[in-house]
Amino acid sequence: MLRFILADLGRMKAGALVIVALVALAAALGVAVTLQERALRLGSARAADKFELVIGAPGSETQLVLSTVFLQPAALPLVGGDVLAALHDDPRVAWAAPVGFGDFHHGTPVIGTTARLISETAPGMAQGRMFATEGEAVAGALTGLAPGDEITPTHGELGHDHENVRYRITGRLAPTNTPWDRAIMVPIQSVWRVHGMAAGHDHAEDEAHGSLDPDTEGPRQSADHDNPESAAQHLVEGDGHGDLDSAEQEHVEDEAHGSFHPDAPLPEEEGWHGAPGVPAILVKPATIADAYKLRQDYRAQEDTMAVFPAEVLTGLYATLGDARQVLAAVAAAAQALVAVALLLVTLTHVGQRRRQIGALRALGAPRGAIFAMVWGELFALAAAGIALGLGAGVLAARLLSAAIAQRQGFELPVTLTAGDLAGLALLLALAALLSALPAWLAYRQPAVASLRG
Amino acid sequence: MLSLALTGVEVGFPGLDTPALSIPRLSVAAGGQLAIAGPSGSGKSTLVNVITGLERPGAGQVLWNGTDIARLPESARDRWRGANVGLVMQDFHLFPGLSALENTLLPARLARVADRALAARAAGLLAEVGLHRPAQKVETMSRGEMQRVAVARALLRRPGVIVADEPTASLDPANGAAIGALLVGLARRSGATLIVVSHDPALIALLPRRLTLAGGVVHEDVTEPA
Ligand SMILES: Nc1ncnc2c1ncn2[C@@H]1O[C@H](COP(=O)(O)OP(=O)(O)OP(=O)(O)O)[C@@H](O)[C@H]1O
Ligand SMILES: [Mg+2]
Repeated sequence: MLRFILADLGRMKAGALVIVALVALAAALGVAVTLQERALRLGSARAADKFELVIGAPGSETQLVLSTVFLQPAALPLVGGDVLAALHDDPRVAWAAPVGFGDFHHGTPVIGTTARLISETAPGMAQGRMFATEGEAVAGALTGLAPGDEITPTHGELGHDHENVRYRITGRLAPTNTPWDRAIMVPIQSVWRVHGMAAGHDHAEDEAHGSLDPDTEGPRQSADHDNPESAAQHLVEGDGHGDLDSAEQEHVEDEAHGSFHPDAPLPEEEGWHGAPGVPAILVKPATIADAYKLRQDYRAQEDTMAVFPAEVLTGLYATLGDARQVLAAVAAAAQALVAVALLLVTLTHVGQRRRQIGALRALGAPRGAIFAMVWGELFALAAAGIALGLGAGVLAARLLSAAIAQRQGFELPVTLTAGDLAGLALLLALAALLSALPAWLAYRQPAVASLRG
Repeated sequence: MLSLALTGVEVGFPGLDTPALSIPRLSVAAGGQLAIAGPSGSGKSTLVNVITGLERPGAGQVLWNGTDIARLPESARDRWRGANVGLVMQDFHLFPGLSALENTLLPARLARVADRALAARAAGLLAEVGLHRPAQKVETMSRGEMQRVAVARALLRRPGVIVADEPTASLDPANGAAIGALLVGLARRSGATLIVVSHDPALIALLPRRLTLAGGVVHEDVTEPA
């Protein structure tokens, strides 16, 4: 029987291959959609894991989360330094740390933050040590930088160099499997200083840049931030010639970076009194109850916004879930289409083999054997296709995850669950059922058919 | 070694006014050899289908050693046919992709009766019909060789009756004569009853009794004196 099936398949190799490929394609589509959606959900949930509560200036909650968790570049309004100070002194807060972005090094984000945040969110140093002065930096696991390297950040991804600013990498972090693996962490104090916003300084001097741009600041600005003079005005007035680029360049060199003090120590636990504004503050509440209270408090204030990234992501997933359902429906439709096409092909095939099937019966083959043969042949093709599709789907999801990890730096873990396998088992059962239809037709084929044309 | 007795057999087809076959009484002794002749459309194949249980007559009895196969349900008739009838058809109905030996064994395997002894017998039969390459794929064989495989297949389960419907019609005269001689000789040696439908005078001449059909009825039934 097996030999007969194999011989039969061998005779229509091309057709059999096409059928297997079709089934595999349809199955792979479904598998890949399911796996990739789950990977995205798991991966981003993991990335947000350490970000319990994020406080920023009022604006888009989603953007605040995307910028903080996924380091997506965006101009965020600043929240005042006094908020940071208040959080630091709040007994409901285990620790709070500023997160300042806007600078890059060859496309790698340069994040201003604190040693506390880094040691709390990363599993440890893979190499070297934490930064200790304003001129030192810590590299994420996937930046390709090592202790001893020196970097000069640019302002914005394609912006000008912060000339005279040179950070020395003192350590490389162990991987966190989050986008932060692709970032360089520097002391927030030096970011403030580079942007002319250092604590206690008259930082109206220089605030023309990117995410630390006063134009995008929220209603709350730091206490001494009442100078209405815009940077551009300042530049034009100061230089007399309207060339903004060269003026800014000059200005940056002349004034802003003059205050970069690479050897200045980091008085992290000073309490942040008089600190300048930051785009985001990551807060680790002491307890879960505190987390809700803090969120409520900072939501109530009209110049701050507080979000649970996990909650915001859940909202995003809901949207994603809709997209997934659309994709899943498309995949299901493709599978149904393939099933119908295959049914048509096999029914025709059985029709063409009327004489052959009749002859087998005339020669003494029981009807059950003929049913089993046709069914077995079809089901073998479908099962091979489904198995191949499972492999191809997993592979496709893995490749996609790898590509995303390569670009975005966060891991999208592709995992098969019992539910997936149950789904495939269902698909197999369906294939078994559908294969039974042509088999039934063959079973009903009268034996005389062999003797008449 | 089966004896056949037909009584009151009538086969009609929708759209035909007169029955395609109408045989009030016909008997063939166990081990007997019968040729069935007659013009095209006279009902020869219909008769073969009725006596092999492929077709159920609208009326009448088809008794093989006293068993009325017209009364058997379909699956039982299939089983009876597999065990008792060796069928040789005009189109050989061999299955491409399989060897001569595998083709010989295929129906027995599908019926789950093929054992080692039967496989050995298949090889022996192939040698007996003059084929010496049992592993040769059937699609590479000549028509004469193909019909030899079909004859070996028909004899495999030691059937009580061998029924052949125009076994030589698609062969050249030399091969036709060889196949005819094989069939008659093998049937005689095994003791099986032999019923052959044929237009081939050479083949008909090999058989002692000749039945001629015309318009679905027996026109002539001649037995040559031995
Ligand atoms: N399934 C069927 N439906 C309708 N008519 C049929 C059917 N099978 C056979 N017939 C008719 O029955 C008659 C006898 O057919 P049969 O096949 O037995 O002839 P035959 O003697 O074997 O002819 P040939 O020598 O050409 O093989 C023919 O008129 C044929 O048209
Ligand atoms: Mg005929």
